[in-house]
Amino acid sequence: MAQVDTSVKDSEPQHRVLFVDDEPDFLQMLAEAFAPLSQDRWQMHHAGSAAAALEMLQQQKMDLVVVDVNMPQLDGIQFLKILNEQHPGLKKVTLTAFATEEKRTECLANGAELFIEKPKTTEGFKSVFVMLDGLISWLPRDDFQGVLRRVGLQDVIQMECLGRNSSVLEVYNDQVLGRIYIEDGNLIHAAAADLIGEPALQKLLALPGGSFELVPFESPGERTLNASWEMLLAAAVRVREAQAAGGTTVNAEGHAEATVAETLICSGKGEPVYEFQCADAQTRVRLLQNIAYHAEQLAQILPLGNFDRLEMQLANERIVAQSRPDRLVYVRVAGSPSAA
Amino acid sequence: MKDPKKWLAERATAPGTLGSGVRQADGKIFCHSADESCPAGRMEKILRQFDGMKLTLFKDTVPPRWSTWTFEQGQIRLVARADGWLFALAVRSESDALQSLDPLTREFLSLKTGK
Repeated sequence: MAQVDTSVKDSEPQHRVLFVDDEPDFLQMLAEAFAPLSQDRWQMHHAGSAAAALEMLQQQKMDLVVVDVNMPQLDGIQFLKILNEQHPGLKKVTLTAFATEEKRTECLANGAELFIEKPKTTEGFKSVFVMLDGLISWLPRDDFQGVLRRVGLQDVIQMECLGRNSSVLEVYNDQVLGRIYIEDGNLIHAAAADLIGEPALQKLLALPGGSFELVPFESPGERTLNASWEMLLAAAVRVREAQAAGGTTVNAEGHAEATVAETLICSGKGEPVYEFQCADAQTRVRLLQNIAYHAEQLAQILPLGNFDRLEMQLANERIVAQSRPDRLVYVRVAGSPSAA
Repeated sequence: MKDPKKWLAERATAPGTLGSGVRQADGKIFCHSADESCPAGRMEKILRQFDGMKLTLFKDTVPPRWSTWTFEQGQIRLVARADGWLFALAVRSESDALQSLDPLTREFLSLKTGK
């Protein structure tokens, strides 16, 4: 499939957007949802495969390519790599129905400007449109010489706090809209949906995908965060790790139900770089190395690509172990439900 | 469970399932291939691999009730019952079969073995 869907008004500025997805139904939904929102400012093109998209890109210039991560033959990540080589200046966004932190990292590392979960509701489509429209309309400001790319929400908070700045971060995806307030380098307030304070901050920092914008500071009218920004970010990281571990860590109200009992992060050679309540780092490192060995054995039996992690459910705790060439990670979550 | 092979063939069928296998407490193994890339013999090897894991990974602790080995293109779930029965399920990443991991694990853990 390779077609132009929207009519073009000569007098108005046009953004050419190419959507690449092997699901024709989803492409159709996107076209129907975005056409009225773009009000003819977008010229939308569709391709049903990476190969068809590359062919279209040879024929005409695009301003933005929106890529489905999970496509047969040439998947989204491989496609991003090719785009980086053949069309280095092109803005790229990835869409996925199965958002994970690993996938997000991989997409951003391969040049995607945004990693967005596929919308399922009308509101979701609107939010995605706003994100894409914001990205496509963005032009470098005169007072900046460089472009910040692949910078995460946490990185921006750290930069603002270290710079003792005052600002508000508006964070959103198709399900959540929140704000994080920074005043003179201190995190003072966070709000997301019905949550405020630490639960709101943790919820926003644990979002699997979305977008954020730094806007001028305005007083929130209340202060719900009092700990140092370092402590708050560290706590949010622990919650996120626990969520990655699969434990039901944060319920709908944002209250912790399971707790991270132990964390160990090592270099690929097994040198600890971060420990949290880890009584015997060497034993854990040996376990991680053994896990890597067994993962290799399993991969020889059933080739499924590189090993990512092992999750183990014990009676009342869950363990997540990651053994990669560049890092070893061990996280133990206590109070995790024992049922599958 | 009177017929593990039948249970596997009937239950481990979600799109994206590669293969599945059950090892009884007496060591007898039944496997089912759901994808040509994963013949039954491979699932048998995976089940046997669990013995090696017990010797090294879990020598000082109780083996986990279940474990999931996540690779780029798929996941392998191993489920161990207290009575010695073992279940293995291999599925593709980002497939419907991922959603079947937990329900099948619960089902396997609660099945009556008939022994």
